[in-house]
Amino acid sequence: MSIFRSEEMTLSQIFLQSEAAYAIVSELGELGAVQFRDLNPDVNAFQRKFVNEVRRCDEMERTLRFLNKEIEKAELCVQDPHTRPDAPHPQEMIDLENKFEQLESEMKEINANQERLNRNFLELMELKQILNKTSTFFEEAGAHQAELTEGLHDKSALLGGEESSRHLNFVAGVILRERVPGFERLLWRACRGNVFLRYTEIEEEMEDPVTGDIVHKCVFIIFFQGDQLRSRVKKICEGYRATLYPCPDSPAERREMAIGVATRIEDLKTVLGQTQDHRCRVLQTVAKSLRSWEIKVKKIKAIYHALNLCDFDSTTKCLIGECWCPVSDLESIRSAIRRGTERSGSSVPSVLNSIAAEENPPTFFRNNKFTKGFQNIVEAYGVANYQEANPALFTIITFPFLFAIMFGDCGHGLIMALFAFTLILKEKSLMKKDLGEMFSTIFAGRYVVFLMGLFSMYTGLIYNDCFSKAFDIFGSRWYIGLTAQDYQSLEKADKEFQMNPIENWYNGNINSTRSPYPFGIDPIWQETLSENSITFTNSFKMKMSIIIGVIHMTFGITLSLSNHLFFKSYISIIGEFIPQVLFLMSLFGYLCAAIIYKWTLGVTQNAPSLLITLINMFLQFTSPYPCKVDSHGHPLKDQGDGQNCLFDPAAQGYLQKLLVVMAVVCIPWMLLTKPLYLRHKHKKAQSYSINSPYPDTVGLTESEGEDDEVVHHDDDNDGPGSKKDHKGNRGFQFSEIFVHQAIHTIEFCLGCISHTASYLRLWALSLAHAELSNVLWNMVLHTVLQTSMLDGMGFVRAIAIFLAFGFWALLTIAILLIMEGLSAFLHTLRLHWVEFQSKFYGGDGYKFSPFSFATILEGEDET
Amino acid sequence: IWVALLLDKPKSTMDMLQLGDWTFNADNGYLEGLVRGFKAGILSEADYVNLEQCETLEDVKLHLQSTSYGSFLQNEPSPLNVSTVDDKLKELLVVEFEHMRNQAVQPLSQFLDFVTYSYMIDNIVLLISGTLHGRPASELIANCHPLGSFEQMESVCIATTPADLYNAVLIDTPLAPFFQECVSQQDLDEMNVELIRNTLYKAYLEAFYEFCQELGGRTAEVMGSLLQFEADRRAVIITINSFGTELSKDDRAKLYPRCGKLHPDGLARLARADEYESVRVASEAYGEYRPLFEGVGTNPGDKTLEDKFFEHEVALNKDAFLQQFQFGVFFAYIKLKEQEHRNIIWISECVAQRNRSKIKNYVPIF
Repeated sequence: MSIFRSEEMTLSQIFLQSEAAYAIVSELGELGAVQFRDLNPDVNAFQRKFVNEVRRCDEMERTLRFLNKEIEKAELCVQDPHTRPDAPHPQEMIDLENKFEQLESEMKEINANQERLNRNFLELMELKQILNKTSTFFEEAGAHQAELTEGLHDKSALLGGEESSRHLNFVAGVILRERVPGFERLLWRACRGNVFLRYTEIEEEMEDPVTGDIVHKCVFIIFFQGDQLRSRVKKICEGYRATLYPCPDSPAERREMAIGVATRIEDLKTVLGQTQDHRCRVLQTVAKSLRSWEIKVKKIKAIYHALNLCDFDSTTKCLIGECWCPVSDLESIRSAIRRGTERSGSSVPSVLNSIAAEENPPTFFRNNKFTKGFQNIVEAYGVANYQEANPALFTIITFPFLFAIMFGDCGHGLIMALFAFTLILKEKSLMKKDLGEMFSTIFAGRYVVFLMGLFSMYTGLIYNDCFSKAFDIFGSRWYIGLTAQDYQSLEKADKEFQMNPIENWYNGNINSTRSPYPFGIDPIWQETLSENSITFTNSFKMKMSIIIGVIHMTFGITLSLSNHLFFKSYISIIGEFIPQVLFLMSLFGYLCAAIIYKWTLGVTQNAPSLLITLINMFLQFTSPYPCKVDSHGHPLKDQGDGQNCLFDPAAQGYLQKLLVVMAVVCIPWMLLTKPLYLRHKHKKAQSYSINSPYPDTVGLTESEGEDDEVVHHDDDNDGPGSKKDHKGNRGFQFSEIFVHQAIHTIEFCLGCISHTASYLRLWALSLAHAELSNVLWNMVLHTVLQTSMLDGMGFVRAIAIFLAFGFWALLTIAILLIMEGLSAFLHTLRLHWVEFQSKFYGGDGYKFSPFSFATILEGEDET
Repeated sequence: IWVALLLDKPKSTMDMLQLGDWTFNADNGYLEGLVRGFKAGILSEADYVNLEQCETLEDVKLHLQSTSYGSFLQNEPSPLNVSTVDDKLKELLVVEFEHMRNQAVQPLSQFLDFVTYSYMIDNIVLLISGTLHGRPASELIANCHPLGSFEQMESVCIATTPADLYNAVLIDTPLAPFFQECVSQQDLDEMNVELIRNTLYKAYLEAFYEFCQELGGRTAEVMGSLLQFEADRRAVIITINSFGTELSKDDRAKLYPRCGKLHPDGLARLARADEYESVRVASEAYGEYRPLFEGVGTNPGDKTLEDKFFEHEVALNKDAFLQQFQFGVFFAYIKLKEQEHRNIIWISECVAQRNRSKIKNYVPIF
């Protein structure tokens, strides 16, 4: 397995015989172990060799999309094939194309037929509605006309009568409901009020024959006089897309027509049903094999895309492809090529050769579902350089651990672990579902969350904290040896009682051996009685954070040593690793040692403040003693200013001076050694090449000598300088290297201080978490449990407790688990990305993305 | 108290400007971000170079797939033709515009409506002139720009006189106030249709200009320069096109939009012009327009004045993106996109007709 260092990769050249190329690439796609490089990046997409095939695939995909849409419209379900079919033979492509084309034209014909029938049907339905509705209009109009005729009669009697002009024309039709108001207005305006419009809504829903949408329509009838108006009205109807229908004048004719329409509708319904059935049958057969066709076409397209990346060599009539592949997979790749050659029946074998690479190979880790989550965390910062130490391996433990230090609570940890564990148990069924963006992120990190939960339980036990309460498993080792009188006198005086470890330190039994609480913090500190419990845990957690931080950073630097050794960059060990370790150790290593030493002292009255000790290490560099001493050089009794001696004043003074000098010396060491060495080496190489009569041989030795430097460039310690150096010895820029090294040095030295301080976030968040959970307990659940208001009302108290528990549980999950969990997660992330990885991790690599049908098909499914 | 103080302050121009800037993003921040994102998708020089090399429309489609156009042609069966490309391009623009219009609130919504009015004018004129030539309405409707479609559009054909058109159809549309000047025209012949178009456009530009000035602040500044150029361009083009027609000088002068830089002196000079040379002299008095008339010719290889105008318009529209907190970006984006569509269609036509000699006659944007 390659989890610590990425897989060894090699650049290979494949000579693909043109007749076998397709089959071989198809086999490689099934294998998914090679990444093709684009050999003609300057060529446009439409000028590549296999653009026609790609285009044909596009066309096939379009047809498939069309069929898919039709199937969706018919509300049929598409069956997924049990196994993914192999990429079909190129000849089969023509068959597929023909089949699709045929299906498409058949489908289109059916659709056109159906549309025509639908349109007919719609028209008949509309006509039926018109005949129904207009009869009422005509009745009203008849009454109207009678009045009108009477009126006219009077006038015509005066004018001498023109009977014919009395006759009113009309048109009837159907219009979309939403267009009616505009239509009415326009009619009125355009015809100057000389028309009479009546309309009524059709209650039934109509179906648009083209789109299949449901539309609402209105029946209308317009009465007018004269031919000029008729043409105008007709134009307006046309403008508003109203359909006009012939409507007979007399009621008898109308009735007759209605009967005719009704029979025609019945006929049409049966025909429509038959077309629908036919269409369904066709689509059902399509639905059976649609998915496998889709997969086939996608595979063909992917193969031609890959072939487009290859170079065509016209002299040997073969395609040349370059690809990255893992060295360990070479055998299976070769056998895939053999299989492909056999399948295509080509007589000339295709060959795979390893060639030298100019650029850095891609980074490839073989992750399983457990390590993937951690690898993702690291890669969110940057993909590892080729073969450099992969922090993901260590992140598996350090990440949940650092998280747990901030999240230390047994109960919360248990909930989190159980939640993640259910996800793990159900992962097979959940994997298939679309979980949504938020939840799928959590699901992807389920193993991370699970470990975070487990580790939180562990640290919770250490802190002796479960929902802000303590477990008293072994019995507290503290004993308050007070009598009742003592209590009363204390209470009267309103004084606090301070326990003394000498007097109050046993387990209720004066004769027991004086051992501390065996695991974690003594439960007495979680008691609400102890006023100074925060002071105590603060001191403990703060020191613990520093120690863990320094260990974590030192470990990071050690990993850089492993990189230097791996890339054989010995100058980096001497010029970087050693001074870095010395620098860190002489300042913060000493601090950690002092912390632990101070713990071993037990309780003394003269305990020095470590912070002041560390500051005085620098400030009192010139004075012989770093702490308060009397005239004989003996440590003074406690003065309350923290400037006490840690141990023998003279020895402490010597040791601290030595450490400070060492740290200061490390700075120029880091700054100068490596650039000067590189410069010296460069000069030497140059003078050789000038003086030597055989520049070629020198060139050889020189390139040998520089090999380690090129590799060492992978380590990202010396910028582009050495790379240029390799490429023909020009452009060795001392200033550039020096500036780079200066930045690096300053960053490291300042970083050591700020990063150590940064680890204090472990303490801060842990404190915040413990206090929040404490407050929540005291303010919500504790209040209800304690209140005297509910005394004697057992039932009410039960309900109150029930409600209070619900509230408490809700807040616990929302605030303490989710919000606090997220914030602790982010801080852990930062500690890993910034404080830990900055010590050794380059993160400038690029990922290996092999040509694989599986990922192509999955990717398509997601989008 | 603080808020109250702000409100009590006299609204000097400076205050208005700052107030607008404070609250601009509350209403329009999303859309401005969106339109700037859209702008990033406008084809670059390199894309055009690639498009020029296309041999068939399929190649054009394949190349456009790698740009922000994505798969907009993927459901079109081959063989493609240019009109499908054109329709799809318009459809895409309309979808984008409709989205912005639906998200917009006053005054941006009204601003966007103003943008569509110019397309409405074009559509009306197209319909009237089409009806004059006896084309069926359905065919004409299909040719209308979808950005300028409106409910009453299809009944434009019933009108026989401008008064009819106004009273029956346009009175309900937002174009009604622009049309009032045209009502006096006697009947709809070819000449009058052109007059209607230009009068409408004049009224529209002036109203739009005034609207932008009322909005104040940077919108006024940016849109001012865009609309001034538009007005001046129309004045120049009207003058040049009027040579050799029966349009009288007085009538011509009435068509000039009066919100450009040429107003009033330049317009007065244009009104007196009888030949191209005097138009040039009149316009060259204005520093920005001088370069547009340089190197213009009718010989093959020379750029026409129209091309020069387009180039200048593109430059102005690009400048509109340099200022924030103003509406000019929306107008500029639509105009740039329109230019891009013209470019794509031009290249597609050249490719489809296998006439590559003039393929370079597009106006690159970025």
